[in-house]
Amino acid sequence: MLIANRQPEYDAIVVGSGMTGGWAAKELTELGLRTLVLEAGRPIDPARDYREHVPVWEMTYRGLGDRRAVDARQHVQRRSVSFDEISHVFWCDDVDNPYSTPADKPFDWFRARQVGGKSIIWGRQVYRLSDLDFEANLRDGIAVDWPIRYRDIGPWYDHVERFIGVSGQAEGLAHLPDGPYLPPMEMNCAERHVRECMASRFGRERVLTIGRVAVLTQAHNGRAACHYCGPCNRGCITRSYFSSVNATLPAAEATGHLTLRPFSIVRRVLHDDATGRATGVSIIDARTREEREYTARVVFLCASAIESARILLNSRSASAPDGLANSSGQVGRNIMDHIKWGGASGELDGWTDRRVIGERPNGIYVPRFRNVASRHPGFVRGYGFQGGAYRPAWQSGARSAGIGLEFKNRLVELGPWVMNFGGFGEMLPREQNRATVHPTLVDAWGIPTLHIDCAWSDNELAIFHDMNATAAELLEASGARNIRPNTRGPSTPGNTNHEMGTARMGRDRRTSVLNGWNQAWDVPNLFVTDGACMTSSGNQNPSLTYMALTARACHYAAERLRRGEL
Amino acid sequence: MLAAGAGLRCLDGLGAEEIIRFGELLHASAAEGRGVRSALNAHQSAAVTAAAERILPASDTPGATDANVTAFIDRMLADWYTPAERDRLLAGLTDLDARSRALRGRDFVALSEADQVALLTAIDDEVTALWRAPSPAAGNANDHWFSMLKFLTVWGYFTSEVAMRRTLGEYPLPGRYVSCASYDPRARSGRS
Repeated sequence: MLIANRQPEYDAIVVGSGMTGGWAAKELTELGLRTLVLEAGRPIDPARDYREHVPVWEMTYRGLGDRRAVDARQHVQRRSVSFDEISHVFWCDDVDNPYSTPADKPFDWFRARQVGGKSIIWGRQVYRLSDLDFEANLRDGIAVDWPIRYRDIGPWYDHVERFIGVSGQAEGLAHLPDGPYLPPMEMNCAERHVRECMASRFGRERVLTIGRVAVLTQAHNGRAACHYCGPCNRGCITRSYFSSVNATLPAAEATGHLTLRPFSIVRRVLHDDATGRATGVSIIDARTREEREYTARVVFLCASAIESARILLNSRSASAPDGLANSSGQVGRNIMDHIKWGGASGELDGWTDRRVIGERPNGIYVPRFRNVASRHPGFVRGYGFQGGAYRPAWQSGARSAGIGLEFKNRLVELGPWVMNFGGFGEMLPREQNRATVHPTLVDAWGIPTLHIDCAWSDNELAIFHDMNATAAELLEASGARNIRPNTRGPSTPGNTNHEMGTARMGRDRRTSVLNGWNQAWDVPNLFVTDGACMTSSGNQNPSLTYMALTARACHYAAERLRRGEL
Repeated sequence: MLAAGAGLRCLDGLGAEEIIRFGELLHASAAEGRGVRSALNAHQSAAVTAAAERILPASDTPGATDANVTAFIDRMLADWYTPAERDRLLAGLTDLDARSRALRGRDFVALSEADQVALLTAIDDEVTALWRAPSPAAGNANDHWFSMLKFLTVWGYFTSEVAMRRTLGEYPLPGRYVSCASYDPRARSGRS
């Protein structure tokens, strides 16, 4: 290749500027590496683009969204729980960014193309994995063993949590390790009651704690405490929740070593067959459609799990006919998400003279209790519950019977306290849950897109059904009335937006894409540190683990570069 | 194009044009129609205003008319609903006049408030009956024209500035979180 003998333009290229790209940018620049971050989407200026304080009456459709435009351009993205009339600009355009699935296996692929990526619209819940998770595949004889254990990642969880700021309550549970938390957000009266009832019925087996959330309850690292306005998914002008725009990218910029290039759609990773090394990436400018190449000594893929797999699969060459870093054949396989929508809700008597003031951007959490101390006969792994107690407001009565003053007064009043539990269940890695390059379908820039073939297995469905039963048990233990188990079927795979596993870590280059440092077995100066690297899914919200693995991999790569070993 | 070596601060001058283009794309139909397109003629508009006020009347807190719910409903019918959905509600208004004339020989807007309440209550009962026993002939309760109108009235009212400030007291934003604040439903609904 022509460029092989040229001095690389950068020390490092990071593909993506979201949750993990921001961390790679921060760590690599702070380690002194001249780093180019390539973002497919537009720049974000918080002063202009964050719109969380627009009152609903100033919205054209009063929060119901521009249905016709969304039907036309964002028919997939709209299915995210965080998609709304304001935040829709933080999701991609489905017409420009198509993909396909088998007709009977829908998959929701939620994607963001702007500086900050999905870190602007994430759910902000952060839970550590433990050795219950890192040993799970080995113990169950499923897929491949993680190449790391908790001791390898524990210090990096500390490192990430200290920087991003996590409010939460330490509980001393071995399978949900604690971190250096900021003060927890308060539970409301009904939630405290449920916590106490669960403690007296289930002891330490089923614990209810306040959510661990990357939202500040006190000023932290130059960012302000939360002011409880509510819609985090529309941005946060006080930078109180963690996103790459709010925290890691400014830190990277402060080093003077960062170059951020928006509108840069990475088509492929460039590879020198002679040396076996990545030499850089080829991009298409999203506006001019010009192609150009950037070179670097090391490349980090942080484009989101399925997009990073797409880039590898589209980086085919004579020496890598099935895609770069894919001698194992595992790139694009083992897609995992978390199965949700199982659970229950019930009404609680009392506290009719109490309400909450302000919008707490957080709920409660019940850590996994299945297959922890005992073994469940119906499934392996488990699930955690998220949820909370609230008093229904006028929205729930909009179609109720009646007209006139009595009807109006009924809508104005808050309903009884309702406690809700919604499960998030682990998904097993299965090779047949797979993304492949579509033979003909391309995106608006002519880049081949993916065919995604992914479905729940019996284990996930057994977990899903158990959620309904145990949520009802928790509500019964709390004295709830009108306990209503979930009546919906399970979520569509992908809908939880925890997609992962498409370039898994492992101990053997024949069965995994990455080693224990997120380093491609086949291409030593190529790292994949987004959700693609996950060997199993746990049931915890995964972004924290992606961030910790990214920081760890950056330090490893920088040290190897310094020693001339990459 | 961003020069090599430039940091985040050079984003400031870069993005306006793109985000505007993206916004325009998504809002193209709304932008064309906003303030121009209208689904309701003057007569229909008056009927919607009267019906909405009977559904959510002014008391010691504002009513549907104070919240200008009709403008919201008109926009939704023009820009948000499908033509079939819009026509279902418009046909309902025609039916409302027919029933008014059968009752009192006058269009709905010309009925006394008491007669308007009686007629709308009867229609609301029909929707409630559909909830309890969905009828293949009469269709789904949510699809009933009066269910649509009531939903739009409620949504338009409670998302209006006057209702959020004066009826619900949710504005201005409190700027804090209180987990177990005191609550007096009588004070809130203005009946104390």
